[in-house]
Amino acid sequence: MMHTHPGCLILACGNTLRGDDGVGPWLAQWAEDHFPASPNLRILSRQQWTPELAEEITHADSVLFIDCSVDSAPGAIEFVPVHPAAGPQTVATHHSGAAELLALSRDLYHSVPHTALQLTIGAGSTEIGEGFSAQVKAALPQACQLIEETISRLLPAPE
Amino acid sequence: MSQTITIDPVTRLEGHGKITIQLNSQGEVEDAHFHVTQFRGFEKFSEGRPFYEMPSLMARICGICPVSHLIASAKACEAIMSVRIPHTAAQLRRMLNLAQMVQSHALSFFHLSSPDLLLGMESDPVKRNIFGVAEARPDLGLAGIGLRRFGQHIIELLGNKRIHPGWVVPGGVTEPLSQAKRDEILAMIPEAYTNLKAGLTAYKQIASTFKPEIEVFANFPSNYLGLINEDESIEFTDGLLRLIDPKGNIIEDGISASRFSEVIGEAVENYTYTKFVYYKPLGYPEGSYRVGPLPRLNIVKSMGTPQADKELVEFKQISLGPVESSFHYHHARLVEALYGIEKIEQILTDPLILDKHVRATAGVNRLEGAGQIEAPRGTLFHNYKVDENGKITWANLVVATGHNNNAMNRGVLQSAKAYVKHGKFTAGALNRVEAVIRTFDPCLSCSTHAFGQMPLVLSLVNADGELVDQLVR
Repeated sequence: MMHTHPGCLILACGNTLRGDDGVGPWLAQWAEDHFPASPNLRILSRQQWTPELAEEITHADSVLFIDCSVDSAPGAIEFVPVHPAAGPQTVATHHSGAAELLALSRDLYHSVPHTALQLTIGAGSTEIGEGFSAQVKAALPQACQLIEETISRLLPAPE
Repeated sequence: MSQTITIDPVTRLEGHGKITIQLNSQGEVEDAHFHVTQFRGFEKFSEGRPFYEMPSLMARICGICPVSHLIASAKACEAIMSVRIPHTAAQLRRMLNLAQMVQSHALSFFHLSSPDLLLGMESDPVKRNIFGVAEARPDLGLAGIGLRRFGQHIIELLGNKRIHPGWVVPGGVTEPLSQAKRDEILAMIPEAYTNLKAGLTAYKQIASTFKPEIEVFANFPSNYLGLINEDESIEFTDGLLRLIDPKGNIIEDGISASRFSEVIGEAVENYTYTKFVYYKPLGYPEGSYRVGPLPRLNIVKSMGTPQADKELVEFKQISLGPVESSFHYHHARLVEALYGIEKIEQILTDPLILDKHVRATAGVNRLEGAGQIEAPRGTLFHNYKVDENGKITWANLVVATGHNNNAMNRGVLQSAKAYVKHGKFTAGALNRVEAVIRTFDPCLSCSTHAFGQMPLVLSLVNADGELVDQLVR
């Protein structure tokens, strides 16, 4: 398997069959549609973040994690830096968070991206279904704008 | 006054479960149960769907072993269609199934169980996780990730998705293998061997330090069930089932999917949603048995690949008859993963592997069909009935965790009696009780996307329901 060394890695998480939980994959698809294919940009969408993603992260110059949040108010966007942090029982099969994956990259590969950011949207409903709640739908334009600005800023300037 | 200890939920399992330990008035363990506390309902809500949708629907049962459900379901559909799939399609599916087995066994050994094995059952729970492994044995942390990547990348190459691939369909697969993909998989093989052998070597170095656990980790005689080839070598995707007794004698051989329901029954207990599967002629619970890596190695005469055959010889030296302690599931898992890599390499050299004929087509030719395969955790059985239009009217699934349910409960009781004394428990003791369950690597359910950290709460409750003591981590 060839390892890529993208300037920017987008890592989305969510289940598209569980309502607002699917917002991460939806935004990842939006980014894929709006940015031309480039070796400098790698977009991965996963139902779960699992430990082997640490290897993808370690090869990237910057990483943007995208997920929904059950701790935030429905539709509330949070856009924050993420720092490596290991915690007990936090990396197993379903429970790997952004901070834990960064910590795993640091501990196993001794390298983390120079920039790590996380964008989350508060979930209104994660019941079974493919649609988004009204609050998450309303938040999508701002989330897309943030992603566009961030990718443009993080991608290396063309030579 | 009797008391009950509850471990809720059990950690580092696929899905949600809990353990209760019932104490008598002297504070000694009287009984213990492993409860599966979630309910799914796939059998019911698939009713009315066209049968050809079943593989993709059933794959959603599990995020770790979707390939198992995909293939078992497709085989049940092919029984309804009365078709035999092309040789190349069968080989490609076999490779997909083995790739999943390798990545699932890597997950079980390196990510879920190696914290106990490498850091110790009594080690600080804060560090008893993959970060602790990364600190103590970074080489094994990397090997685990590498082996998972190997299996998942093959699934992704073949199925175009690493979770819930839709490539397997009733009649075969949707797309032949390209030469570029074959070469890419072959190029990954050497690293896979290196990673697997790192795990196997490490396991052999530390296994002897776990003699007390080996003694009480579901260490009792039982029957064993698994698929086997005509030449008595191991099989995961085709073949027929063999059931052996505690001494290794064959109880019944050549059980096809169409006869499965005739000889295999399911019992229900009121404390869990998981059924208790048993061999009907012996009744319940006497007809209970174990499935998965340990039983598979107990029933076969060979692995059918050179390196795994050498390891099988060594494995069988553990005992004169069938290996009994479930602790040895860890060892068996690594031997199977080695076989998986070898077999994938063999399949890729099949002169017909790039053949374009990979799908048979047909409509409804029978009103019932069944399929059976070996999932990483054990035998998986799908059975469907359809109407003349091919709509599902009834479905039944028998999963590995159901086959092992009786043995898991007996194992919890055995270990609880060894480690919980006078109504007192320690974190290390309870971790061992949980670790018994982890040896079976049960898959309770993993299709739901869980949020947050799964806590471990252990409660000591007296007969009146009052909380006497509690341990939280």
